Amino acid sequence: MNWDMLIFYYLAFAMIVSSIGAVFSRNPVHTVLLVLVMIIHQAFLLLTLGSEFLTAVQIIVYAGAVLVLFLFVVYLINLRKESRRSMFIKRICLCAIAFLIFGTLFLINLSAILNTKGNIKAILPFNLKQSNLWWMANYLFKYYLFQFEVIGVILLVAVLGAIFLVRKVKSVQD
Amino acid sequence: MPILKDYFVLSIVLFLIGLFGFISRRNLIVMLVCVEIMLNAVIILFAAISHFTQDISGYIVVFFIIAMAAAEAAIGLTLVVLIYKKFKAIYSEEIANFKG
Repeated sequence: MNWDMLIFYYLAFAMIVSSIGAVFSRNPVHTVLLVLVMIIHQAFLLLTLGSEFLTAVQIIVYAGAVLVLFLFVVYLINLRKESRRSMFIKRICLCAIAFLIFGTLFLINLSAILNTKGNIKAILPFNLKQSNLWWMANYLFKYYLFQFEVIGVILLVAVLGAIFLVRKVKSVQD
Repeated sequence: MPILKDYFVLSIVLFLIGLFGFISRRNLIVMLVCVEIMLNAVIILFAAISHFTQDISGYIVVFFIIAMAAAEAAIGLTLVVLIYKKFKAIYSEEIANFKG
């Protein structure tokens, strides 16, 4: 077994185990920290897929901003008294049935994907001359510029919506 | 080298874990975290396909997914804080009088 497979199996094992632990842990703080472990491993998985820029973005945005926001809300909402109750919702049978339906759909999809014999050809040899970041910037600002602007508008609307929601309830309470 | 099938299997396993957490946990914050797990599974899928077909578009979709996840976390956590202020609970059964 060479190093590539070893690194891939380590990353996959750590991601699956930490996400299972995140789903089945009782404390929300442990959930958020286990997802943080998963996201850092996933950043290095993106590095093995040849994208340095997305590794940096993953660590900065997810591990640095989104999960810190989650941790902030978990500490803001102090639920230590009620943590003794049941973790899952009451209708667990219904949830299991829905999960099994989705799971079988995904497995059918997976087998259909893996049985196709399409030959994958290289469309753009982006790792020959320039780095991955060069090609990403080239495509992002040449062909995906409108989508880039739309993402900026969506982030602005999200920030304005969050501020608007909080301010409105505060004025009603006063 | 790991082949594309390995990344597919990893992505689907992670997506199913996140889906199970989303439909079976009671805590709203944990449900949002499970949505993040599902988004990460999709990110792995796009990056793997983009790597193996040598096409740059998948990486750009991953970039957009990360931006969308940041916006979704901001709005979702704002709603969780508002629900906690109104109902003093963030469990999905105790706020069931939201409907209709």
